[in-house]
Amino acid sequence: MLSLNLPRRGRSVRLALLGAGSAVLLAACGGGGPAEIDLGEGPAKAGTVKAGALDGVNLTFVSYGGIYQDGQMAAAGTPFAEESGAKILQDGPTEYAKIKAQVDSNNVTWDVVDTDSNWAAGQCGKLLQKLDYSIIDKSKVTEGLASDCYVPAMQYASVVVANTEKFGDSVKTWKDFFDTEKYPGKRGVQSGDIGGGILEGALIADGVAPDELYPLDVDRALKKLETIRDSIVYWTTGAQAQQMLESGEIDMGVVWSGRAYGAVENGAPYAPAWETGVVVMDVLTVPTNAKNPKASMAFINYYLGQKQQEKLTEETSYSPIHVDAKPQVNAEGQKFLLTNPEVADKVLTSDFTWWGENYAETLEKFTAWVSG
Amino acid sequence: MSQAPPVGAPEAQAPPAKVRPGSKPGRTGTNPLLLLLPALALILGIFAYPLAESMWRSVSDPQLGTQNYEWFFGSSGNLAILGRTLWIALLSMLICLALAYPYAYLMVIAGPKARAALIVIVLIPFWTSLMIRSFAWIVLLQDSGLVNSFLGIIGLGPYNLIRNTTGVLIGMVQVLLPFMVLPLYSVMSGVDMRLVQAAQSLGARPAVAFLRVFVPLSMPGVVSGCLLVFIQALGFYITPALLGSPSEMLISQYIYMQVNQQLQWGRGGTLGVVLLVATLILLGVLGLMMRRSRRLLGDRGKLL
Repeated sequence: MLSLNLPRRGRSVRLALLGAGSAVLLAACGGGGPAEIDLGEGPAKAGTVKAGALDGVNLTFVSYGGIYQDGQMAAAGTPFAEESGAKILQDGPTEYAKIKAQVDSNNVTWDVVDTDSNWAAGQCGKLLQKLDYSIIDKSKVTEGLASDCYVPAMQYASVVVANTEKFGDSVKTWKDFFDTEKYPGKRGVQSGDIGGGILEGALIADGVAPDELYPLDVDRALKKLETIRDSIVYWTTGAQAQQMLESGEIDMGVVWSGRAYGAVENGAPYAPAWETGVVVMDVLTVPTNAKNPKASMAFINYYLGQKQQEKLTEETSYSPIHVDAKPQVNAEGQKFLLTNPEVADKVLTSDFTWWGENYAETLEKFTAWVSG
Repeated sequence: MSQAPPVGAPEAQAPPAKVRPGSKPGRTGTNPLLLLLPALALILGIFAYPLAESMWRSVSDPQLGTQNYEWFFGSSGNLAILGRTLWIALLSMLICLALAYPYAYLMVIAGPKARAALIVIVLIPFWTSLMIRSFAWIVLLQDSGLVNSFLGIIGLGPYNLIRNTTGVLIGMVQVLLPFMVLPLYSVMSGVDMRLVQAAQSLGARPAVAFLRVFVPLSMPGVVSGCLLVFIQALGFYITPALLGSPSEMLISQYIYMQVNQQLQWGRGGTLGVVLLVATLILLGVLGLMMRRSRRLLGDRGKLL
């Protein structure tokens, strides 16, 4: 090994020097900026990209890992790489602190990041840049879900699920969820993050009309939550919520619909009560000062296509955000899809704008309440 | 500590400084302290600099000023989290000590084969990933878990063993126990057992001989074990995050939350500084107490 390596090393050093020299030359000529990208003529169309337009471009896609990110890659990432010529690198899970560190140090290595919508709404123009809607076609995105700085990546719901062996299918409303006398037992609630779900539910159970929820009366919601404090078990990650359902540790829970479906598929006896569902979503964003925003936008545009959204749902059980998407999902999976009319009529969409403006403050209040 | 001269020995009689066995008197030209430079650079780079950076952030993020400290001390919730962290660390330390002391003593008095087995029992979990052990505890301790099933068979429970302080303590003690056992064992194995025998031959009952001769001589191990466990326990993150509950959050989880969810890096820095200062104060107090108790023990040593 060593004797083989010695002459080679000499050559590779020379090559490296040559390479470095030419790189300096190139940088001097080209100004060092990102290469010009030609995405083709005419208005953008979701789900398409000009063949070979991104040859030689590296793009880092960041999401939450697991079957979700695998599904995103299978539905959009991999075919996009094949068609556009870009090389897609993956990273994850999404951590807001990492985005802040990259933006603050002006060394942004993440190009397209899947984040929570409430957080993204609050970071528009700060850590996240505005999207270029001449490259991204949002005409088929479900009304009201796209904003200046993000487009939806998928939808799901924070929904109450209840143990069918213990309660049958009698748990239907937020009032039931808060009724510990009629339905004694532990309730799983998310902590560490907050948005769209438990606070809305507490207010509805307390008698607020669903169309008068916003601006949320957080103090009133916490007061209502206080009545079930002793029954609450907290979960902080989706995996933890699913584990609690599968092990039977909680009798009820406000959990993400995708995780509830995962538990049900694995045989856990729970049913969703869609009247309690609050629609929330993940979004695709581009950090401020991302190295190649044009390529990021092209990726996002491709991601929003009908075919991509159908495949994403089939792979992950999260709901599509393309209005025409008709994913092929089995009967059990249909029960968890927000595009299923029976579900869509019952759920409530959370006010992303309100959440964006009040996310940090609400999270702080909620955390103080949880640890108090 | 054990090398300290007996209290009250006149300075004049102190023996001249000994040349350490094994150290060569000859000089080799280069200053051997230079060999420490890489380590020093490493410490400066990965410890001192980030620490200074966090401290600076605590008074400069988002603006220059003391707003982060006002935030911390202005909220009883924050003080409760700090207090809880110290309390859990103290409890872990005491439980570890209570379990490790007899165990280490057993290791000392056991025969070579039994001792090897006892060491392996301590070391195997020590070499296993913290993450895996914490997840294993979830499986064991949950309401429908192995422990509760067993308790059910003998007609007890079910008890809530995780997502509360009980779970955190079980997990932390299991992880930290080797850090108590090993220093205790290393000190205890150096104790001259003939002293205990001598005490007994002079008429002390075995329990008295143990308490008044062996226990004081093992104190250096107790102190170093307690320090190791307590300081590590203060910064524990994974185990409390998995086995505890956000309603009983410890300071490390709170720092994570401020830094990652709230992006309040100044507050994160403040929490870190507060924890550091609280730890240093506690260590100072402990150091003072040790010095006093050493003096007391010294006197007693003279009486014996």
